[in-house]
Amino acid sequence: VAALVAVAVLWSGCGGPMQPDELKRSIGTLESSAAEGALLANGVARDRTKATFVRVHARDLGETVEHEAEKLHDASAEGRVAFRKAAAVDLAGRISEALGNIQTAPDSRSEGRAAESSLTRLGDRAGRLAEGL
Amino acid sequence: VKTLLRVALGVIAAIGGFVDIGDLVFNAQAGASVGYPALWALPVGVLGIMVFAEMSGRIVAVAKKPNFVLVKERYGPRLSTFTLVASLVLTVLTLAAELGGLGFVLNYFFDVSVPFFVLVALFAVAAAIYFLPFGGIERIFGYLGLALLVYLAASIKLDPDWGAIGRGFVPEAHGAAVYWYFVVGLIAAALMPYEIYFYSSGAVEEEWDEHDMTVNRANAFVGFGLGGLIAAAILVASTQVLKPAGITPESIGTVALVAQVPYGELGLILAFVGILFAVGGATIDTAFSAAYNLAQHQGWKWGKRFRLLDEPRFTLSLAGFLAAGFAIAQTGVDPIELTEYAVIFSIPVLPLTYLPILLVGNDEAVMGRFVNGPLARVLGWGYFGLICLLAVAAPVLFAWTNGGS
Repeated sequence: VAALVAVAVLWSGCGGPMQPDELKRSIGTLESSAAEGALLANGVARDRTKATFVRVHARDLGETVEHEAEKLHDASAEGRVAFRKAAAVDLAGRISEALGNIQTAPDSRSEGRAAESSLTRLGDRAGRLAEGL
Repeated sequence: VKTLLRVALGVIAAIGGFVDIGDLVFNAQAGASVGYPALWALPVGVLGIMVFAEMSGRIVAVAKKPNFVLVKERYGPRLSTFTLVASLVLTVLTLAAELGGLGFVLNYFFDVSVPFFVLVALFAVAAAIYFLPFGGIERIFGYLGLALLVYLAASIKLDPDWGAIGRGFVPEAHGAAVYWYFVVGLIAAALMPYEIYFYSSGAVEEEWDEHDMTVNRANAFVGFGLGGLIAAAILVASTQVLKPAGITPESIGTVALVAQVPYGELGLILAFVGILFAVGGATIDTAFSAAYNLAQHQGWKWGKRFRLLDEPRFTLSLAGFLAAGFAIAQTGVDPIELTEYAVIFSIPVLPLTYLPILLVGNDEAVMGRFVNGPLARVLGWGYFGLICLLAVAAPVLFAWTNGGS
């Protein structure tokens, strides 16, 4: 059993520094959450959605982003991966903040417009950050 | 027209199977990840379930034997018990996921807490099972689940690339494991065993006989056809909305958001109503399927017409499976992940579920003039071969692609 656990741990890559493909997957989650948040915010900006849905879904997306940020923060990394990992943690904080704004004011068209613009920009940044990994 | 109005059994069985909580997200993920090239998997799966549902309904009409009676008759005690245990585990896991899914959907409307709405869902489902007649359950959950046709309207309104959709229905050689993961998953979702358990037992509940062959065919072809159409529409709409934006759907809220893009709040509400009744129907499908299988295997009296005092074992097992599903859902396990695991790991059980139907359908001594014709035999054995292949490929692809991610 111990041997199987050891093989599983080695296979999953646990225990060592973060690999570029792991960081890429993590940034991919941030990019996806930001893009979805922008779509959600677009509905708020155009008054084409339901406030309760926006509040719950923005909160869910925010939790996903925060969970990803915690994983990134806890992972050790080296070289250019470490540099991009720190940038990803910062990005996660900004995405979470923008999602929090529509969660707090799910019926404010002006907040919706601001969050849509901000989340679109942050999603693009996440895409660029993942390039070349 | 009268026959077409009696397709509720097929509709609820199909909706429960194709567009339950996990499949809704899985179809959207296939659209967001692979896009139109995955479309061909849907008609492959839909035709397979149509073939076996029609066969199992015909067997009930002629021989009055639902699926688990056939399992018990055709397998020895050990294999039939293994099939029973495996099917019960997977069905109860799916039931837990559906109850959890109902909690999420209701929370999107009222924002209290998911565990609270899982409890509300449990009471609502139990009340529907207890107070509504079988036909009423089929019609309410089956037909209201058709609100999901909003995805068909959304796909058309979003002005899709019809050429690319057409090419998506032609299988292509593809090297990516993720592509094959979604193809296998889409076929498997259409063939989930509990659809057949529910369909064949539902046919007994509706007291089908040899005069109901047309109703059986209409249920199998129209009911499952509608389920497949909705699944395809979700995949197409997700390809149009989510794929270009780089969104990977992980929750049912993302699937609802797809309908909001073309139709605003109305689209969102229609999507949630459809999801609520489709997932509610799937909850009832799975609860009944588990109780039917156990009762049929043990040789108890069973059926919706029996009340607690008439047949306590069937009624109590139905209540017990609902309670078990509720307990699992209350642990906070992610319902989407739970159903994805249930789909992938139900595939090895598929051959054990479908083989007895095929053997009895081909048996002239049992079926008389309603025995499988040449087309049903060829399709039946062809699909059985495919199912055996899927049984091997699915767990491998699941591990290889890390669940399609």
